[in-house]
Amino acid sequence: MSERQSWPSPGDREASPPPAHDQLPPELPGDLGGLLARVARGDQSAFEAVYDGVAGQVFGLARSVLRDPAQAEEVAQEVFLEVWRTASRFDAARGSGAAWVMTLAHRRAVDRVRSQQASAQREFRASSPEIDYDVVAETVEARLDAERVRKCLGALTEVQRESITLAYYGGNTYREVAGLLGVAVGTVKTRMRDGLIRLRDCLGVDW
Amino acid sequence: MKIRRADPHTLLGAYALDALTEADRARFGRHLRVCESCRREAQGLREATAKLAAGTVTRPPDRLREQVLATAARTRQLPPPIRETSAWPGRRWGMAVACGLLAVALAVGGIAINTQRQLSQEQAHSRAIAAVLNAPDATMMTAQAADGGTATIVMSHLDGALVFTTARLPILPSSRRYEVWLMGSGGARPAGMLPAPHQGMTAPMVVNGLAAGDKVGLTVEPAGGASHPASRPILLLSLPV
Repeated sequence: MSERQSWPSPGDREASPPPAHDQLPPELPGDLGGLLARVARGDQSAFEAVYDGVAGQVFGLARSVLRDPAQAEEVAQEVFLEVWRTASRFDAARGSGAAWVMTLAHRRAVDRVRSQQASAQREFRASSPEIDYDVVAETVEARLDAERVRKCLGALTEVQRESITLAYYGGNTYREVAGLLGVAVGTVKTRMRDGLIRLRDCLGVDW
Repeated sequence: MKIRRADPHTLLGAYALDALTEADRARFGRHLRVCESCRREAQGLREATAKLAAGTVTRPPDRLREQVLATAARTRQLPPPIRETSAWPGRRWGMAVACGLLAVALAVGGIAINTQRQLSQEQAHSRAIAAVLNAPDATMMTAQAADGGTATIVMSHLDGALVFTTARLPILPSSRRYEVWLMGSGGARPAGMLPAPHQGMTAPMVVNGLAAGDKVGLTVEPAGGASHPASRPILLLSLPV
């Protein structure tokens, strides 16, 4: 953690180049909830800190779901504006700031994918499910926290893991996942739930 | 006939992964509002999915930061919300509403606004409903009727009873009414006439005398009721043993 690089602050953005891809903060800042409370009161410097802490994850997640960097950028912008606008809705009693922001981000990305996806594109996605996981696995290897995610994903059964990754990184519904995996819809629902429970326990989530 | 049985809890994983369709998500969201243990589990699973995002970290273009900060600076923020928790249907009743009882709870809440006249009768009725809802083996099922509308059933074998409510069933001419049946190996037993709907929903009725292996059915009968079903059920639901 002490080696963690922080993102450039606005003042030195011109002077020092942004950190390279593999030096991004490996995890969300622990006090994100506290920052969000300040954002709710209109504190712009807190908002900048939130952005710097989670932009890589928000953008990366949107890119993973949408595939298209330009659309991912639009979604990331929408997400941060929503964070700014609705920070007063964040309730620390109901979950961490990280979960709140990443839930907004994932929903936005998924909503966009579902609203605009033409059936032809959908078929293409359906025919190449392996893309979802490979793209993810490649980027996962780079970071420590991501490594833990990978290890915990690896500890799941194949159906659990694929159900979760196809849904989360690929933006598929559970019915689509069932079709992609060729397993019953009920099985996918169950595996998503027990897989996430195992993942939660493996990652040591405090909720 | 289309029968759908849904234990909403199995959707918790898909919900936390945003893998529900919009309609499923809305329905499940309503369920979460009345199911505290579900909310807790959903929170925990959300924390786990948030960590999954660590596997995707990618540096966004530099212009994004400037755009975001500039747009935020000229965007008005929402005021803090008025928390709705005290308005949950179950709270007013002062009892721990079992998970998955939204439809029932809402309908039960409707009882409170009925006239004073039948108060004691309704208190007994409410107690009977509460007994089923609070039974340790209370199980909720939802089934779709053949011509539209749904029935929500909460049953308890320990209590030997079930609570039956419906929503959005087709409106019948005044000469006809819906009748509820328990259908076991010995044939169909009349379980009562469905009350008239109020805003599309029927107040919960308590059906006693539930036996193992029973199915619950709904038919359209003459307004006076029938002792044997004269028509095919528009809804027939096997109950878990």
